[in-house]
Amino acid sequence: MSNDPNKVWPTGLTLSEAEEVHSYLIDGTRVFGVIALIAHILVAVSTPWLG
Amino acid sequence: MISIKSFAIRKISAFGMKYLPFADAASEAVPLSRLLRLSLFQVTVGMALVLMVGTLNRVMIVELNVPATLVGAMLALPLVFAPFRALIGFKSDTFKSALGLRRLPYIFKGTMLQFGGFAIMPFALLVLSGYGKAAQAPHWIGEVAAALAFLLVGAGVHMVQTVGLALATDLVEEDDQPKVVGLMYVSLLAGMIVSAFIYGAALETYSPLRLIQVIQGSALLTVVLNGLAMWKQEARDRVRGNAVRTTEPSFAQAWARLSERPGLMRLLAIIAFGTAGFGMADVLMEPFGGQVLQMSVAETTRLTVYLAMGTLVGFTMASRWMGRGARPIDVAIYGALIGVPAFGLIILSAHLLSIAVLIAATLAAGFGAGLFGHGTLTTTMRTAPRDQIGLSLGAWGAVQTTSAGASIAVGGFLRDRLQSGSAGAHSSSAYIPVFCLEIGLLVLALLLAFPIFGRAGRPNDAQKTAQDGFAKSNAG
Repeated sequence: MSNDPNKVWPTGLTLSEAEEVHSYLIDGTRVFGVIALIAHILVAVSTPWLG
Repeated sequence: MISIKSFAIRKISAFGMKYLPFADAASEAVPLSRLLRLSLFQVTVGMALVLMVGTLNRVMIVELNVPATLVGAMLALPLVFAPFRALIGFKSDTFKSALGLRRLPYIFKGTMLQFGGFAIMPFALLVLSGYGKAAQAPHWIGEVAAALAFLLVGAGVHMVQTVGLALATDLVEEDDQPKVVGLMYVSLLAGMIVSAFIYGAALETYSPLRLIQVIQGSALLTVVLNGLAMWKQEARDRVRGNAVRTTEPSFAQAWARLSERPGLMRLLAIIAFGTAGFGMADVLMEPFGGQVLQMSVAETTRLTVYLAMGTLVGFTMASRWMGRGARPIDVAIYGALIGVPAFGLIILSAHLLSIAVLIAATLAAGFGAGLFGHGTLTTTMRTAPRDQIGLSLGAWGAVQTTSAGASIAVGGFLRDRLQSGSAGAHSSSAYIPVFCLEIGLLVLALLLAFPIFGRAGRPNDAQKTAQDGFAKSNAG
């Protein structure tokens, strides 16, 4: 396993493993972004801060 | 100094092992501390349940003046997702991952959904109640946002609990499963009790700011506790990660394979009827005590505590008996057998007007519910094929949550109808038919369970043959 040519520096993960970890990060960022957007809209509806 | 410290640590750990139930769940591979940590996900599930069904239920009606029917509809929304538990479990069984993970990604996604729902929930509720300028905004914004918040939390809870239980089943040996089930149930109950007290104290003086703080605090705590729970729990599996995926079975195929297993449909039917039978008592005990036996609010709250205490004792005893070799399904049947006379005693207490009889019946009903819940979940874990653990526990969760939710709704609805129909009649007339219905459901579960009761004379024979059969089919 240690001489796997697909392993990338510096984590020792293979390319597909690294891509999978990255996909969780991207998913999380998207979900949190959408949630934050909805929360801001809702707050703006009850207490408008944009005039 | 050092000798005192080591002495104290040894004493404390010995004390813990002696008096903490389920402490001997720790096997060589999975120490107790890790199982306790894993059970934290059940604490967040309990927290979410109490916040939605208990605390927000009251806050929305009393403080926010939202119509009760709308509140009921919002709280029922997460139930829509309950049948999807089987699908979630199946997905986690067959999840394609280069890292060889199956459960962790789903616990992560479920946690995000729970967090997201809680993050928008307070604002959605404030808009729903027309707080500030929201009264001028169209009505549907608040309704859609609140529905979305409840759906997100509900979906997250279903996901975290299903996959978390599947992970727990993956981690421990079959002999330790009863203790892990006990641990999971006790964590759920402890999470519910502790968070009910904390929410009650935090929202004693209501203000919109306090509502936001409490719900978003829960959101943060959910992420922290679930993070702690899943940290380093599931091992990466390079073999599974590198395995060439050819043709994955579809959900229908996997379900057909699981439901072909003898006794599974019967087990699910027993779970449905039994859970519905015990479930109705949860919401009816307090109003019953108040209206029929004229108990004070403090006394009826204590009734719920007695019910929880009985359930706790039930979990502990179920773990102990199964540890000594009792068959899980038999323990569940004993639970239902205790439930029938317990509900009979409750009806009797209405005639005798005796609070002592009601308390005894409540303890017994809780005890029976504990045995039944523990026994059926352990049976599900035991009978789950090694590669279909997620699907099996998903099916258990789908049946269990659906019938628990439906029974609470039906019980409340029946009581309201009977109460309005019999104005001026004896106050117990609204409750007794519901308790009779509970007895009927438990009897149905018992009739279904009767053919398999104690069938395998010696407790471990059935498992042995099952294991032999499984080993042979694997070898062949």
